[in-house]
Amino acid sequence: MGGHLRILIRIALRNLFATKLNLIIGGIILVGTLLVVVGGALLDSMDQSMSRSIIGSVAGNIQVYSAKSKDELALYGAMGSEADLAAIDDFSKLKAALEMVPNVKTVVPMGINAALITSGNTVDIALEKMRDLVRQKLEGRASPDLEARYQSQKEYIRQILRVLQSDLKKREVLVTAKAIEPENLAALDRAASNAFWNGFDRDPLNSLEFLENKIAPQSSDADLIYLRYMGTDLDEFQKSFDRIEIVDGRAVPSGHRGFLFAKFFYENQLKLKAARRLDRIKKTVVDQGKPIVTSTGRGGQPSEAEHLLKQNQAQTQEIILQLDKIKSDQAIERLQRELGSTEKDLDTLLKHFFDMNDQNFTRRFNFFYEQLAPLLELYRIRVGDVLTIKAFTRSGYVQSINVPVYGTFQFKGMEDAALAGSLNLMDLVSFRDLFGYLSADKIEEVNNLKKLAGAEAIDRSRAEEELFGTARKVVAEATPGLIDEGTESNASLRALRREELLRRVYSKDEMDNGVMLNAAVILKDPAKIKQTMKEIESLSEREKFNLKVVSWQTAAGLIGQFVSLAKLALYIAVFIIFIVALVIINNAMMMATMQRVHEIGTMRAIGAQRSFVLGLVLTEIIVLGLVFGATGAAIGTGVVKWLGRVGIAAPNDWFYFFFSGPRLHPWLTAANLIAAFVIVLLVSAISTLYPAFLATRVAPVRAMQAEE
Amino acid sequence: MAAIVSLSDVIKTYRLGTVEVPALRGVSLDVHAGDFISIAGPSGSGKTTLLNLIGCVDTATSGTVLVDGNDTRHLSDRKLTDLRLNTLGFIFQSFNLVSVLSVFQNVEFPLLLQRRLSKSERRDRVMSLLEQVGLASHVDHRPNELSGGQRQRVAVARALVTQPQIVLADEPTANLDSVTGNNIIDLMKELNEKNGTTFIFSTHDAKVMSHANVVIKLADGKIVDGVAPGSVPLKSVAEVH
Repeated sequence: MGGHLRILIRIALRNLFATKLNLIIGGIILVGTLLVVVGGALLDSMDQSMSRSIIGSVAGNIQVYSAKSKDELALYGAMGSEADLAAIDDFSKLKAALEMVPNVKTVVPMGINAALITSGNTVDIALEKMRDLVRQKLEGRASPDLEARYQSQKEYIRQILRVLQSDLKKREVLVTAKAIEPENLAALDRAASNAFWNGFDRDPLNSLEFLENKIAPQSSDADLIYLRYMGTDLDEFQKSFDRIEIVDGRAVPSGHRGFLFAKFFYENQLKLKAARRLDRIKKTVVDQGKPIVTSTGRGGQPSEAEHLLKQNQAQTQEIILQLDKIKSDQAIERLQRELGSTEKDLDTLLKHFFDMNDQNFTRRFNFFYEQLAPLLELYRIRVGDVLTIKAFTRSGYVQSINVPVYGTFQFKGMEDAALAGSLNLMDLVSFRDLFGYLSADKIEEVNNLKKLAGAEAIDRSRAEEELFGTARKVVAEATPGLIDEGTESNASLRALRREELLRRVYSKDEMDNGVMLNAAVILKDPAKIKQTMKEIESLSEREKFNLKVVSWQTAAGLIGQFVSLAKLALYIAVFIIFIVALVIINNAMMMATMQRVHEIGTMRAIGAQRSFVLGLVLTEIIVLGLVFGATGAAIGTGVVKWLGRVGIAAPNDWFYFFFSGPRLHPWLTAANLIAAFVIVLLVSAISTLYPAFLATRVAPVRAMQAEE
Repeated sequence: MAAIVSLSDVIKTYRLGTVEVPALRGVSLDVHAGDFISIAGPSGSGKTTLLNLIGCVDTATSGTVLVDGNDTRHLSDRKLTDLRLNTLGFIFQSFNLVSVLSVFQNVEFPLLLQRRLSKSERRDRVMSLLEQVGLASHVDHRPNELSGGQRQRVAVARALVTQPQIVLADEPTANLDSVTGNNIIDLMKELNEKNGTTFIFSTHDAKVMSHANVVIKLADGKIVDGVAPGSVPLKSVAEVH
């Protein structure tokens, strides 16, 4: 057959566009190649981007954790709960050992947990501030300034009460009056009455208690917030994961206790909802160029922006509750000027204000941030606040810690990635406290208490002697005052101690000496990950660390598998498409062979061997595959190049993570093209085997028969 | 002189479903080199079957067909194909040119299959034949750019390009008007006389068969008469049994 190649190729090339059937087959090959090239390039690019996201945000190249753990490590959470990992007691020893492995650059200790925090509702916050002012007054620190603030706060609380009252009235209209607890109504009526406020100054503490117990629970704006945090050596973390950047505030100073919010989480969970909604509208309207008004024009579904605006109009309470009398008047005045209105009711004014459209959106957006926002608390927890986190320890009791919020952070390129942006950062010492492990401070505290109580460790074998013998007086007389209940429980002292803890600087040794749950191992050469994993495993076996060593992909849990799953899906899709293509090409080639029986018979009659006919059909399909496959690959290359230039916008927050940024700029590798070609040629050749076999069976006598 | 083609007691039966249709019912025939033989007879008389058997594109049900000394019934498909390539040439009723190849390439095609001649030798051979059939100026044309007569002349050139001993032509004039048909027969005759190539062609046209040295008349699968038309001097005579 070799010597016939030229004539075979010549015939194949000439036949290329000779029949419609060939165009159909060519079309299938073209689309198939295009799909494999573009799909493959997209997934490969996504795989790389996502691995960058995962490796660069928390995972590092390799993660190690205790093999005794009940669950597998899942850095991005596993179905709503946190993985139950066994602690590794001595991190410093492990770190020293791991850093001996040649390819290991650094080891960063970690531990992930979650807690529910309540942000406190507006009434609570207002009452707490009031209580503070009352306390100052009672302590006799009276001043004109304090008195002014006291009166203003009183007005503010009365304003809140009026809002709650009118809110309840409105609800009465909507639901039957019976659905509202009469007790609540009575309490509100009492709290809003002039009589109550006339008597407030006489008995402020009891009045406050009434408000705290009866009124505060009626305000519904408190949220339980699910807070995921990772305790880590913050210095080491920032050095190792260099894509991190501080957005607000500053980094936690070296060795301090401190908390950093993920910017994404901070914006989404802790920002004033109305402001957050405006941000989201701005993103769709200004950044993505989608108009606000769609429903009137098309009569269809309201746009997302319209939906958000409706929510803003309905939920003005959140803003109104924040404003005391002075600020409320300021807001009314500014809104009247902006809207050119004489309306005096703030609620109505806000509803009017939030009725935005494409023409006035930008102006009103700016007005909101320039004029209204300064009157409001935009975030429920501010940078600089001390955050109280209560969490269940491993042994099941509730532990609570205070930790100052130093700022917010984000990972470069993943500013809007929900997955990367939902994990907040905490110092390792606080994390250990919360997790219920004895930290250096706790041990010290326990020792101090022991010393104060005169407690002594008593050897079990000598217990009798020690306790009842006369040689030493272990049992102290009950001397009141040895532990001064008064001083210990004194609030200001406690606060002092709290302050001291927050100011304390921990040394690197203190950080390293202690438990952790998992550790990120960052490699010098990420390509050698498999080999390094083996080395760490054998090290763990040798030194009895009992470690589980996983790649970043495994550590990421389901998320890490996402691209693998997507790839699998693509390959299954490609497989199905090619099975279909196989059948179609097979049928088309059969028909083509049938159409050419006369020609093939003639060739056979003239003296062509069966092998020549086989070569003829196979050469044609291969030439067809090459020509149309190359065209498909060329178009695919063009498409990928074009996509690489303009980028693919992430359809939602999740994809920011997979895209490692707001847009994916896919690129093409030689492997994509080669894979596409091999698949296409293989499929073409396989689908043609049977028709080719049939062609070799065409009898030469068919040449003699008249052409149909 | 030994016969180049020799048939004895050849029977060919086709099976159509359960019915057996006899096409040839005991034919014996010797053909000698240089003969110019016409096989005549009405449709269904077995002309094409006889040509197919001689042309090695079909084998007999019984009896022997010897082509150039080879018993075709005992040859493999590969050997039969070689025999067709090297010893035989074919001219078809509907020309059967490869439509995607040019005139030159169609004629060259059997030479490429043979793989014996160099490129320049092939070119000389093809051009000399195209000159003989009068199509030297049409080398680059595609078959569909030619008239029927021109196409058949290309087919003649293709049949002769390997310098076969025997050229078989099944109704070569059936798809041509009478003038063109006559020209083709004249051409074949001329080549027969010049090169000594044996021609066996089937026809039911009385005018065409008058050119032959020997006319073998077939009816119902049997030879009814083998005569040399009186006016034409016989170079050699097919021996009819």
